[in-house]
Amino acid sequence: MDVSDKLINDLAPKKFGKKGVIWTTFLIIVSIAGIIAYVDQVIKGQIVTNMNDYALWGIYISNFVFFVATSFVSTITVAVLRLTKNTWRTPIVRIAEIISVATIIMAGLTIMIDMGRPDRLMNLFVHGRMQSPIIWDVIIIPTFMVISLLLLYYPLLPDFALLKKYFKDKNEKLSKWYGKLSLNWTGSNAQKKIHLNSIQLISILIIPAGFMLQTVDAWLFSTLFRVGWDSTNMGAYFISGATVAGIGALVAVVYIVRRAYHLENYITEFHFDKLGKFLALACLIYLYFNINEYLVPEFTSKKEEVTHMNVLVSGEYAPLFWFVIIGGLILPIIALFFKKGRKPLPIFLIGLLVVVGSWWKRYLIVTPTLLHPFLPIQGVPESWHHYFPSFHEWIITFATLAMCLLIITLLIRYLPIIPIQRTADEQEELESNKKTKS
Amino acid sequence: MKNKFISHPFFLVVLSVFLCASSFAQKAKKDKVRLKAEYVKIINSEIYFDLKATAKVDGQNINVSNIDLTLYNTIGDEQIELGKTKTDMNGESRFTLKDLNVIKPDSTNIYNIEISFNGNDAFSKASKSMSFKDANIDAKLITKDSINYIMATLKETSTDSVVSDAILKVQVQRLFRPLGVGPEFNSTDENGTIVVPIKDEIPGVDGNLTFEVVLKDSDDYGTVKALVNAPIGIPITDESTFDERTMWSPRSKTPLFLLIFPNLLILGIWGIIIYLILNLVKLKKS
Repeated sequence: MDVSDKLINDLAPKKFGKKGVIWTTFLIIVSIAGIIAYVDQVIKGQIVTNMNDYALWGIYISNFVFFVATSFVSTITVAVLRLTKNTWRTPIVRIAEIISVATIIMAGLTIMIDMGRPDRLMNLFVHGRMQSPIIWDVIIIPTFMVISLLLLYYPLLPDFALLKKYFKDKNEKLSKWYGKLSLNWTGSNAQKKIHLNSIQLISILIIPAGFMLQTVDAWLFSTLFRVGWDSTNMGAYFISGATVAGIGALVAVVYIVRRAYHLENYITEFHFDKLGKFLALACLIYLYFNINEYLVPEFTSKKEEVTHMNVLVSGEYAPLFWFVIIGGLILPIIALFFKKGRKPLPIFLIGLLVVVGSWWKRYLIVTPTLLHPFLPIQGVPESWHHYFPSFHEWIITFATLAMCLLIITLLIRYLPIIPIQRTADEQEELESNKKTKS
Repeated sequence: MKNKFISHPFFLVVLSVFLCASSFAQKAKKDKVRLKAEYVKIINSEIYFDLKATAKVDGQNINVSNIDLTLYNTIGDEQIELGKTKTDMNGESRFTLKDLNVIKPDSTNIYNIEISFNGNDAFSKASKSMSFKDANIDAKLITKDSINYIMATLKETSTDSVVSDAILKVQVQRLFRPLGVGPEFNSTDENGTIVVPIKDEIPGVDGNLTFEVVLKDSDDYGTVKALVNAPIGIPITDESTFDERTMWSPRSKTPLFLLIFPNLLILGIWGIIIYLILNLVKLKKS
């Protein structure tokens, strides 16, 4: 067996084992439960949620912001590492691309779930005002979705051609599909030229698109004159937060995929070490922005800001706030400073902690601000000053997370998780370099 | 003894019939609607009736919404239907007349109007009659010794005679409600006239003020109002951005930079996306 045969054998998509089937079934069940809850929400209206006149954005928007943030992973790991010629990225880029596609699709769906009248979706396009950041979001999300799909698809073309041959005798139907998806890839010079130029172009394009997506998402909040949102810091704050959420999710998925598919020879401790350093840097930058976000209002002590800060630091949301700051940022930074903290298992646990922290961080960005309006209404029910998602909201939110994981799972099942052709090219290059030196 | 009496079959039948009858009677009892009506005439403008329907239900006054009211012009024994109107959520309705010639007075030049409600499942029939004579206010702005005055004369139209000792109110129109000008009560003299001095420092858009001379809720004439436009206010600049391209305008008034810059970005990005998709086609063909 030569090197490329071994590569294809190792990296070609494989059927799920028992654990994989149980995992997929679990995700499907949670997704169906969410769909049922959503249908009920559409029939009965948003009365089934705990949103009210004050908390008019709830868990759905928090979840949406989380998905948007996590989709930034492709911009930061694929495009930026590619353009800065960091070759260690090769075994992890496809996983990043898959996460990006799954999360941006779910971001688009989640925002629709938040709509009281989803049948009026088209009105956003027909009657949208260019002055509103909402319409910028409506434009940038589908745009980023298409770019993410192209970024995933283009590098797959040579791999699809390899898989077509590989599955020819093993699974004819699959081979046929891979053949169609490979777009008659032969690896000719003409094809390689177009291919390379296109990937280079997407890698450049996804950077401004990713920055726009995160910035527009931030401006949804910062263009509103609300405590906790009214900040010029918000765009950069969201970009750095998205980097943390994206790399955290990437680390967690990479670890699981590596274990499930026994890819220890391809995704090594070196990669985790690099990812760990990357995550530590991202967390440090985000911590810096958090200090800016919370310290300056505390220092200037405007009445509304003080109320808001008290709710976060020592009030109703204090446990969550400190969990997000300490558990989601400070502890990961400390752990990642040590080499042992960047080993696969510790970094996986840190990645999970960062992802959970990132999710709750979005909840903290969205909810407490809404509970303290500038123009309070007289005699409002006490319940309006508090918000905790209803059963419907939780089920639907869990379902969106499950659907996201389901998309990732299915793509991992049918796509080569590590780029085969590129790995082969790199190994060939390495061998020829060795020969030249000797 | 008592038990025997209660258990007597005849007594039970009578009792149940009585209870059933009284419960039906209670259900059948309808609440009374109270109708209020005000006749308003704005000189050289519209003439209308402001109607309101209320009822006392369970000891509480409520506005009766969504009921049909019919207006009739009564001339002697004859009743001419003027039209129908429906009360809104506040139990109110406005019935506008095209002009006063639509209705006819009786032989004494009094206009008689009847507002009638035909009743429904919840409320019994009700009606309200009102009578008024036509009156006119001739109002104008005069200036004497650099002081501005509103001079107004109240006349009964049918007899062309002035009305003395009537109380007229002078007010200037403001954004939410009119602001009183001069003394609170101005009684017309033997010529049916009032003269009210106007202070100089009333601000108005471009210096334009609109004064109202009002005969309010008169027993004989209803409400009669005359409007006087006078360019004597302190000019204020209208800072409204209503017709400008601003961030808060409708989509047709989007600021140009927001139309050009984002659309150029969108076109640029989607142009590249289309180029990349075309490259896929090229790859397939090559």
